[in-house]
Parts: sequence; C-alpha cells; structure tokens
Amino acid sequence: MANASGVELSKTFTAGLWQENPVLRLLLGMCPTLAVTAAVKPALTMGFSVIFVLVCSNIVVSLMRNLLKSHLRILMFTLTIATFVTIADLFLKAYLPEMSETLGPYIPLIIVNCIIICRAEACASQNGLVVSIVDAVGMGLGFTITLCVLAGVRELLATGMFAGHAIMPRAFVPWAAMGLPVGAFITLGLILALVNQITKKQA
Amino acid sequence: MRKKVQYFLQESWLLLVATILFGAVLATLDAAWRPRIEQNEIDKFNRLAGAMLTDAVRFDMAAEGLPVTGDKGRIIATDIKKGLDAGGNPVGWAFIAEGPGFADRIRLVVAVDASFERLRGFGVLFSNETPGFGDKMKESEFRDQFVGVPATGLELSKTGDRSVIDNNIVAITGATVTSEAVVDVLNRFMARVRDQMKEKGLI
Amino acid sequence: MDRVMVLLMGFISIMIINNLVLTKFLGICPFLGVSGRLDMAFGMGCAVTFVVTLSGTLTWLIDHLILRPYGLQVMQYVSFILVIAGAVQLVEMYVRKFFPSLYESFGIFLPLITTNCAILGLCLFINLWDVDNLAEAVVLSVGAGLGFTLAICIMAGIRENLLLADVPTCLKGAPITLITAGLLTLAFMGFAGMVR
Repeated sequence: MANASGVELSKTFTAGLWQENPVLRLLLGMCPTLAVTAAVKPALTMGFSVIFVLVCSNIVVSLMRNLLKSHLRILMFTLTIATFVTIADLFLKAYLPEMSETLGPYIPLIIVNCIIICRAEACASQNGLVVSIVDAVGMGLGFTITLCVLAGVRELLATGMFAGHAIMPRAFVPWAAMGLPVGAFITLGLILALVNQITKKQA
Repeated sequence: MRKKVQYFLQESWLLLVATILFGAVLATLDAAWRPRIEQNEIDKFNRLAGAMLTDAVRFDMAAEGLPVTGDKGRIIATDIKKGLDAGGNPVGWAFIAEGPGFADRIRLVVAVDASFERLRGFGVLFSNETPGFGDKMKESEFRDQFVGVPATGLELSKTGDRSVIDNNIVAITGATVTSEAVVDVLNRFMARVRDQMKEKGLI
Repeated sequence: MDRVMVLLMGFISIMIINNLVLTKFLGICPFLGVSGRLDMAFGMGCAVTFVVTLSGTLTWLIDHLILRPYGLQVMQYVSFILVIAGAVQLVEMYVRKFFPSLYESFGIFLPLITTNCAILGLCLFINLWDVDNLAEAVVLSVGAGLGFTLAICIMAGIRENLLLADVPTCLKGAPITLITAGLLTLAFMGFAGMVR
C-alpha cells in the first residue's frame, strides 16, 4: 500500500469527527452512548477506553492484514478486540476503581461495539499502519466528543452539575428524568434530528 | 488424516499463534494488576467502614464467610471485620450486607458498635436506585437516622421525626420500596450475624 | 414449589421489569435497524432468543466449570465472545441447511447477531448477578430473549403506523424511533418494583 499523503490523512481524520461520525452518521455503537452518558466523567472514561481499544486493534489488524484467511478473519478481529478490552478493563479496575464500578458491564461490551469491528473490517484490514491509526483516532475522538456532548446535556439537566461541578443556579429544579433511560433516548433522538437538519441544509 | 491436520494447521496457524500470544499477555497483566485490584476492594470497604467507626485505625478479619440466608433463600457469605483503635482495642464490627432493592441489588457496609447493641450506621457500596427518589438513601438525611439505633427490629414508617433515635425509621418520601429494602437488609443481616457471632464467642 | 416461584419471578423480572433493551440499553443497534417490519422483527427476535439461550447456558457452564475453579477469570470476556460467535455460526449453519428461504430473507442480519450487545450483555449480567444454578441461568436467558422479542415487536408495530403519520423530515428514521423508544421505556418503568 503506497504511503498516504498528508491531505488524505487529515481527510480520514476529520471524517471520523463529523462526516462519518460513528454515532451520529453511521449509527454505530448506540448501546454505550445511551448507557454511560448520565454523567460526563463516565462518558469520558468510556470514550478514552474506546480510543485505546480502537487504536490498538487497528494497529494489530493492520499489521497482520496480509496473513489473514478470509473465513477466519472475523474471529481474529473478535479475538484481538476482546484481548484489548480485557486489558482496558483490568487497567480501569486497578487504577480507576470508581469509574470501573460506574461503567460496570459496559466496558466489556466494547467488544461488541460495532464501531471497532466495522473499522477493523472496513479500514484496518485493507490499509497501512498510518492510515489505520489516523482512522482509529478520528473515529474514537468523534465518538468521545459525541458522548461528552450527550452526557453534558444530560448531566446538566438532571443534576445541575457538569463533571461534578455545580453550574446551574440554585433556583434550578433538576430534571431527574434526564438521568433515566427515557432522557437518554429522547436526548439522543433530538441530537440526531438536529444533525440531520444541519447536514441537510449543507447538502 | 495427516493431510487433514496439515490443512487445518495451514488455515488456522495465525489464530492459534494469536490465541497463545494474547493469552500470555493477559495472564501477565492479570498477575501484575490483580493485587492492586484486590487492594482497591479492601480500601473501599475500609474507607466506608472507617467513616462510621471513626476511631478505628485498622480493620482485622474476625470471621470469614459467615453464611446468612438472604433473599430467595440463597446463602450469602459475608466477612466480619473488627475495627481496632490505636491501642488495639475493638471499637466495633463492620460487614457487608446485601439484598434486593427497587431496581437492582443493594450492597451496604454495616457498622455496629463493639457489643453489637447499637448500629453505627451504614454506607452504600452499590445501588442502582431511581435518581431523586431511592437514590436518596445515599444521602446523610436518610442515613443519619440509623446512627445509634438498636441493632435489632428496625421498623419503617412513612412519617415521623428523623431526629429521634429509636428503632423507628422514617422512609424517603416517594421511595417506600427502597427504604423498606434497606431496613429489611439491615434487620436480616444484623440478626443472623449477631447470632452467629454469639455462637462463635466473639461478642 | 419455592424454587419454581423464584425462577418464575426471575423470568418475569428480566422479561418485563429489567427488559434488556429498554432499561439496560442492550441490543439497540438491531432494535433500530430491524424494527421496520413486524415479520422481520419477530424473526430477528426468535433468532436472538435461540442464540441467547444457547450462549447464556454455555457461558454459565464454562464460567462455573472451567474459569472459576482454575482461576482463569481474566479469560472470561475472550471465552464468552468466542462461545457466542460459535453459537451464532451454529445457528447460521442450521438455518441455512433446514430453512433456506428464511436464511435468504435474513441476509446479513444473522451473522450480525454476534455483535448484538444483548447477548454478551446477558452473559455478563448473569455473571454479575452471581447466578449460582443452571436452571436460573437458562430461565434468565430465555426471558431475556423473549424480552428483546417483545420490545422489538412492539417497536415494529409502532413504526409501521408511524409510516402513515406526518413525521418532520429531520426526525424521520432513527430520531423518531429513539424518541418512541424513550416513551416506551417510560411505560415499562411502570413495572418497576413489581417483583423484588
């Protein structure tokens, strides 16, 4: 594979942030998006874990892309992703135990997060190391930013706080429903509608 | 037969090598981080128990795996820790109690005084109750009324004075089920643990 | 009789009260993707029920007979996902052999069940809840699958009617589905606390 130019790399990077934002445009990885965005800190932790797993698995898949047999490749991807997710989970349990507790079973669910396996299939297994890494970072950042926006809205409305710091004035009555599943679904639906409206106007 | 094995190896050698490699990585990381993960658990318990047994400087294991018949007839094993002050004198006992709450399970750290006559309070290890309602069980407004109550026969009532320290517990408004669950868990565990500790001659 | 009551309560709890899709946010991707038509939704639900029952049982067995006794819990996630991938492969082969027309209509969705969060999620929840007997694991798995089928069929029914409604363009597709799902969660919240 020929070395990709700087322009192409930056295009790959920004694609993950906006045009092909995994949550907002590709509609992948919805489960953690809804589950961990009740507050900003868990959302950030989840985002960084996904970036870590995405980058590592893209590197490994890209390195072994020429050795893969076609009918075993999904199994190989899954094995790689599962290993890195276990590493991330162990790390969180050891060094960030409160976050690990809050996120609970949603960290191991990164294994079946469609984003990672789709990027491994669509990008890393067909491109060189540098392109794969840039793609992974772009997608991961797009995912993290989306999560933080959603979490910011939800935490602000549900508790009047942002990342644990009180922002809203004392007179603000917290909208507890935002912390519940219903708030998650409706907020994400409205954000998606907003994105649809913006991109339609651009098109 | 040989040809089959050869074909099998030819197709899946990458999978086998990767499995062994990943397994080795995971085993190494697990061995490296496992002590830290376990220490985190102990630290969390000590922190919560220490918040209630304020004069305790360390917690020693007094009885391990005491069986308590929990909900649904299942036997839950709980460890009893003895809180010791700087002079090595016992200031109280702490153990983990759990049971079903409104939404999910509730796990509490329960602290009682040295003679097991009065409750010194409880801390919440894990709960997933409704934010704004059952979640209020974590707040001091609800928890403070347990400090100094007799360690048997707690009763729940919907109205009353929280500042009166007796075995009458005032429920959280709009969260009767969660309040009931907490009182249930405490009653069940305190009764069983006290009986067994008396049998063992610890009190 | 007591054991049966406990199992029944567990079954109702996971099917309705702690419905995996609507309270634990699992299985959202197929929930959004396949709930367009009622027949497809039902078919997907049945396939997921079958796979999840198989996976839940197998992963419980592996966890209790192999991983825990030998202290291999670090390999939990890897072994779980491999079991699930294997189960889906098995189901795929079975359906292709005995129900070829069904296989055709499913298309890409059958292998996609591997990445369904609900299946791995259920295996992890069974682990988290310290389920200690096989019967309860099986009942929870079946209940979870049926709960998923219930949620996706309700959603399919609503979406088929939504096609006739005047939905604003920016809300068409995923946004209105999510908002509807949110209202469904609100409805299902009414069941909470029914069984403790």
